[in-house]
Amino acid sequence: MNDLCRPYELLGGSRPIPLFSIGERLLAATAIKIELLPSQHRLAVERKNVLEKHLERDGSPLKGLIRIFYQQGSMAIGATIKAKYRDEGFDIDIIVEVEVGSSVKPDHILNLLYTAVCGEPGSRYFDCTERQTRCVTVYYADGMHLDLTPAVLLNELDPRFSFIFHSKQEEPRSNDQRIPTNSYAFADEYNQRCPVDHLFAEEYKRRVLAVDPFSAQVLAEADSVPVPQHSTEVGGKSAVTVALQLLKRNRNIRYHSRQGRIPPSVMLACLALDVAESGRTIGENLRIIASHILGEMEQAKARGKLIRVVNPRCTPDCFTDRWPENSEAQEVYIKDLRLFITQLDKFLDESQPLKERVQALEAMFGESPTREVVKEFAVELGQMVQSGNHGLAASGSVLPAILVLPSARPKIRPNTFFGTPWPENQNR
Amino acid sequence: MAQIKTMALRWPNFKPELGRYPQTVVWCGQLAGLERAFTLSIEYGSPLAVSSLLCRKMPVVRVLFPRLVLNFAAEEEAPLPHVYFEDPDYILSPLCLFDPRTGEWNRTMYIADTIVPWAARWLACYELWETTGQWYGGGRHVDLKENADVA
Repeated sequence: MNDLCRPYELLGGSRPIPLFSIGERLLAATAIKIELLPSQHRLAVERKNVLEKHLERDGSPLKGLIRIFYQQGSMAIGATIKAKYRDEGFDIDIIVEVEVGSSVKPDHILNLLYTAVCGEPGSRYFDCTERQTRCVTVYYADGMHLDLTPAVLLNELDPRFSFIFHSKQEEPRSNDQRIPTNSYAFADEYNQRCPVDHLFAEEYKRRVLAVDPFSAQVLAEADSVPVPQHSTEVGGKSAVTVALQLLKRNRNIRYHSRQGRIPPSVMLACLALDVAESGRTIGENLRIIASHILGEMEQAKARGKLIRVVNPRCTPDCFTDRWPENSEAQEVYIKDLRLFITQLDKFLDESQPLKERVQALEAMFGESPTREVVKEFAVELGQMVQSGNHGLAASGSVLPAILVLPSARPKIRPNTFFGTPWPENQNR
Repeated sequence: MAQIKTMALRWPNFKPELGRYPQTVVWCGQLAGLERAFTLSIEYGSPLAVSSLLCRKMPVVRVLFPRLVLNFAAEEEAPLPHVYFEDPDYILSPLCLFDPRTGEWNRTMYIADTIVPWAARWLACYELWETTGQWYGGGRHVDLKENADVA
């Protein structure tokens, strides 16, 4: 940048400015639209606590048998997004560790948990609980649902190394299985290795709280009510996790109208960790993570194999035990990722018309959040233009005033766009 | 000369050249509203009593490349927002960056500090308009009954 352009210089010079570019701002805003906000996180935690008490009530078949009740999956790593088939709900995964002996039959423990959650006819969960193959699901009217997975501890010396159980009701009991797992250790591994950049985390948190209508209440109560914190508060949100959320959203969009299983979130999270580094933007992370996953799958394909990803802290815990079922299923996601990377490159290309970049964003993450995000961006920019409260980059780009040195921010006069009507209208 | 010096200081990528008409200058350079760079021309000249050239009354800004896109289906400002429609090539119509009747711009003001930043605002709003069909930059239009002679 030429010295003569100093009045238009950006704040900080070489200091990285998080969420500076339009692409990064739109990606962050999209992620915030689809993720579990602090107030929704609190609601999920409250529901989990209520369910835990419900399972330990007098008369419950699990009374006195629950060792620990903890969140697993996306909520444990701060990567929860809206559910696959609905735009309004969240899937929350809970492990219910019970003391029933590891020889317990899979269908027995799943049925026991189902009975314990349902309670008596007329009780609050009776009509909104469903027994699944590996868990029991409680549905809430607002679209949230909690998956309770029963687990039995395998080794007292290896905390949380457990069996979970597989029992499909319509299949013979001989197909039932015990599956080794340690989701707790994986969440710990993820949270330890996932890099957090302070500047990014702060800026992301500011934006999350700005869009969460109940964030003020959550923060006000945070000191007095012991609730596990939202990911924006536990060490801050990582750009890797934000990218992971967006990649999961893209997977959900692609698989929305397809039958069968979807690439498991925990596999995506584990592969994201392979390439996680600090200092990258959301867009950079998205590209690197998607390319890495694609590369791993293409390597497996080249060897005539299916991708296999295991828990780095518990190798018997295979994250790909149910997907991909076959090479066709693997090929479907390979093609999805190739398309995704092409769309992402288009979206991040600053020389492209905004219209085409937004179309790519919509193709990647769906119409609903994208339209909201673009509308909000347009309104914000329109307000800046009309109020004159903005800066200019050396290229001319209209920037939020916060990004421009106050002492070097030229006061740009207000203007009123004017013009003549379209000639054909004038003649009418 | 003061305009040329200030443009060179503020927007060095805009290079001045002699215009098509006596005592006129044309700057050509790149400017972004959001992130995409557009090539603009800004034509400006000394006032001459006998001339009706627009550029002798105000700086005339045109978008040369990438070419603007007419959108007759836009919800607002179809087919092109806030320009002085000029045939035969409407796409090269001058941008209407200020209300000439309210003294928002006069010859004592530097083009570099007014017209160019306003053009950046216009480009930003144009990109939003192209994307959404809505104009977020505010503004008004010539009231034909009130005054047909804007230029």
